[in-house]
Amino acid sequence: MPTIDIDLLEFEKLLGIAYLGNMTKLDEDLAFVKSEVKAYDEKEGIVSVEIKDTNRPDLWGVEGLARGLRCYLNLEKGPRRYDISESTVEVYVNSQLKGIRPYIGCSIVKNIHLSDKIIRGLMHLQDKLDQTYGRRRQKSSIGIYCLDLLKPPLTYTVGKPSEFSFVPLGFMDRMSLAEILERHPKGQEYGHIVKKHNVYPILIDSEGKVLSFPPIINSNDLGRVTEQAHNLLVEVTGTIHQTVLNTLNLVTTALVDRGGKAYSATVHYPKDVFYSQKKVITPDFSCKRVMLSVEYASQIIGLQFTGKQIGKLLLTAGLGVVGVNEKTVEVLVPNYRVDVMHTIDVVEDVAVAFGYNNIIPLWRDLPTTGYQRPEQQLVNTARELMVGSGYQEVLSNTLTNPENLFTKMNLKQAPVVEIANPKLVTMTVVRNWLLPSLIEFLSANQSVEFPQRVFELGKVTLPDETQDTGTRDEEWLAAVSTHAEAGFSEIKACLESFFMNLGVAWEIKPASNPSFIEGRAGKVLVNGLEVGMAGEVDPLVLEAWKLENPTAAFEVNFQRIIELKKNKLNNRH
Amino acid sequence: MVELRENEIRILAALDKLDEKAGVEQLMAECELPDAAVMRAALILQENNLVRVHGKIETVVKLTEEGVIHAQNGLPERRLVDAVIAKGGKTTLQAAAQEAQLDHQFAKIALGWTQRKKWASFDPKSSTLTVETPPKVGDDEKLLIALCAKEKFTAEKLSQDLKAAVEQLKKRKAITVEDKTERFLELTNEGKLAIDGGAADITVGPKEITQLTPELIIRGSWRTMRFQRYNIQAAVANFWPGKKHPYLNFLDEVRQKLVSLGFKEMTGTAVETSFFNFDALYTPQDHPAREIDGIYYIKNQRCGEISKYANVVERVKAAHENGGNTGSNGWGYAYSEEEARRLILRGHGTCLSARTLLSKNLEVPSKYFSIARVYRPEVVDKTHLSEFNQVEGIVVDEKLNLRDLLGVLSKFAKEIAGADKIRFKPDYFPFTEPSVELSAYKEDYGWVEFGGSGIFRPEVTQPLGIKVPVIAWGLGVDRLFMMRAGLTDIRSIFSQDLDWLRRKQVA
Repeated sequence: MPTIDIDLLEFEKLLGIAYLGNMTKLDEDLAFVKSEVKAYDEKEGIVSVEIKDTNRPDLWGVEGLARGLRCYLNLEKGPRRYDISESTVEVYVNSQLKGIRPYIGCSIVKNIHLSDKIIRGLMHLQDKLDQTYGRRRQKSSIGIYCLDLLKPPLTYTVGKPSEFSFVPLGFMDRMSLAEILERHPKGQEYGHIVKKHNVYPILIDSEGKVLSFPPIINSNDLGRVTEQAHNLLVEVTGTIHQTVLNTLNLVTTALVDRGGKAYSATVHYPKDVFYSQKKVITPDFSCKRVMLSVEYASQIIGLQFTGKQIGKLLLTAGLGVVGVNEKTVEVLVPNYRVDVMHTIDVVEDVAVAFGYNNIIPLWRDLPTTGYQRPEQQLVNTARELMVGSGYQEVLSNTLTNPENLFTKMNLKQAPVVEIANPKLVTMTVVRNWLLPSLIEFLSANQSVEFPQRVFELGKVTLPDETQDTGTRDEEWLAAVSTHAEAGFSEIKACLESFFMNLGVAWEIKPASNPSFIEGRAGKVLVNGLEVGMAGEVDPLVLEAWKLENPTAAFEVNFQRIIELKKNKLNNRH
Repeated sequence: MVELRENEIRILAALDKLDEKAGVEQLMAECELPDAAVMRAALILQENNLVRVHGKIETVVKLTEEGVIHAQNGLPERRLVDAVIAKGGKTTLQAAAQEAQLDHQFAKIALGWTQRKKWASFDPKSSTLTVETPPKVGDDEKLLIALCAKEKFTAEKLSQDLKAAVEQLKKRKAITVEDKTERFLELTNEGKLAIDGGAADITVGPKEITQLTPELIIRGSWRTMRFQRYNIQAAVANFWPGKKHPYLNFLDEVRQKLVSLGFKEMTGTAVETSFFNFDALYTPQDHPAREIDGIYYIKNQRCGEISKYANVVERVKAAHENGGNTGSNGWGYAYSEEEARRLILRGHGTCLSARTLLSKNLEVPSKYFSIARVYRPEVVDKTHLSEFNQVEGIVVDEKLNLRDLLGVLSKFAKEIAGADKIRFKPDYFPFTEPSVELSAYKEDYGWVEFGGSGIFRPEVTQPLGIKVPVIAWGLGVDRLFMMRAGLTDIRSIFSQDLDWLRRKQVA
């Protein structure tokens, strides 16, 4: 979820309310737009606001956030009107872009007065939109220019990586597009988006001057906006037409909120079947109309509303109302509300405007019977037996690493579920047995009083090609005892009483296992089937984990016991 | 009338034998009694005015490990000087050290001492040592030899010269010097009289029992004996019973609550397809939560199988691309089935709800919950874990609405969190609309975010073939547990601190 930094004074100016540093009040108000105060830098006057709604990019700038809130605070009603005048700016799109970055939208904003703070806020909005809504510039990216320095019409075309060159923003010398990808910080960051193509997107004016190399970098000559610029050109390029158009609206409306006047541009697409529209006038500020059934809204919220009540609530939510009758409300959804994709989204706005805390909760007593998972009873019994045997239950992470699972247990690596993008070197695989978790636990408690006896009954994940997920999870049980006199007979006695109490016939047969001392370990068999092992832990393992006391352990596939019990139960019925 | 018991009689007899006066250690050896028994007997005898107990502070001198080496091999400076003499009275420091088998570090110390004790002359230019005559054995060396023979000494008994050597060797860490109180018992006149049989009023009491044995019980001989009194206030060894893990215990409690509220438990695997974790929950395939910072992808097997849900996949695809028959516009992108099959470690328990909704056995009405281990590629710190548990679930019924949803949340807040007050806020999840955040207020703790919930979007339910509203909810159980257990660091949930687990109260 995006977090934006807003200048509190600018925000208060746009909103028309002064909070006088009362962040609790601001936080309360922000709840209407699913946002909260994360931090407040009093010295700089900057508030960090977390916006939970990843689908409301209209709130990701100081202008949009103020706009979104004003209606809920009864300072404004319904959607804000944005007018657009026609301009003569034309943009021609080259057909070679269709497989690369096919779409562009442009707008012109005139007579705007930018302060340093406004420019900084604008850059912040641009960055949030590029990063999150534009998916790190993959889907869409924004460029803003001083209009007076350009000569329209513009051409959105392609350039050859090693031949086409210009001076990128922040540099002094001309560089080829290939060089920019290699040397410019933005080229290094976003180069992967275009690198796979033979030619790269280029936006130039009628005199061949470069505006930008989308989505990488603007030119040093034209792509810089200062306080002196009063007429701006906004350009958005991208791979999804609707995203491009939405992004253009979001930036342009923010600029209009700052006092600018918006003008359209005409985009001419090539005569290629790829493009369904040949001529697109951008931006399009028209509203979407949604027919909302009064019955549907009342049903979802659980309160009986009239059409008129819903109409009023919609205005509070910043949506428009065209017509109201007993059965339906015709709703006007402003262009910047890109989150509305279903009538349900409008219903939620009605509920928020009504106030969740004004709805009296209702517990619907349904005739359902509760059950815990079938194996839980047996799992609990097993845990109680272990606790009764004097073993402390522990809880471990299931994420671990091959060194813990195998190397330090004196084992060769076995198949195990591995993570492709681990975050920590200690958490790269999912455990396929429990004993390493317990030994690791003991290793962390060498200065704690002995004897130490711990157990865990928990999940292991095993690769299994027969399953849809390529894995199966099983409940396993492991126990260890470590102290100066720990030995095989102690752990065998524990295992014996465990199985006796569960009514499970078992036997142990000598078997080799590199984690255990040869001749002091065996495999545990139930119904002739191997379900685990028990023995004295090999000193090689103890050394690897820096354990200083003899240690005896067992590990049992408890899933087999669960299945055995289930089958017995079924046979009895 | 004085009644004495066996130990006391033995002490008196021993004192008589040892010239009427003896130290505790001597008596322990003589009577074969432990320290505590001698002292107990001494106190009783003193109470009856039969003996006097004196305390005397003694300074005990003992060799350290290093001191033992010096005592056996000679002090380094002695070894060095001997080596020079062996080499004809004049040689280089290096040659002498080699002869004396002193390593570089000791050679330097040895040289320093030969200079201080004026045992040899040293020419720093040529690094040559000259020894005129073998030096006399010093007091420090005498003390070492004496200690070596006797192990420990009472400083007070040493000659004046040797006392000076004590200080020097203590500084050289060859010996330790400790003050110890030595206790002596001395017979009083009455005591002497008692031994001679002159005191008629002394009788021998019954034998004392320290440990009651089966033999004593079976033979009944305990009847003629007396039980030694214990100091029941003395400290005893720690006892650590086995206990359930406090967090798992808490989850058991939550499970029982949910079962009693009519919820059935769902289970599933840690490895899940992106389809059930994301797609079926209307999370677009390019959503930030699906980037490598948002979810763990599986390396050894990239994709899983969803072919048995082909019809559902088809409907989900349509919902994502253009809304399909859900009444939605959809996300407006080209859906990839390959992406849907990608295997991940589940990032939330909601994938279990999606699978449950697809189940043939799904009833209306019904209520489900799960307690699932979930995984996120987070940097682990005070407030984030890479792996944690989520308690989530659904309620399925005709005409469920937001009011019912708030009812479910209030019930949880009261029954599970024991909240005094609750508060709702608008929330956001890609798969629910409307969405609600639940905050619970508890005296002493304040407001805590306790849950997130919502009604599944039509883009979720319709492709899964569900015709009725579904309430989805999740509870912040980790925070609730931390609050109850008084923890401030979320990592403590998976704490490896055995001492904490042993001492953690269960009530």
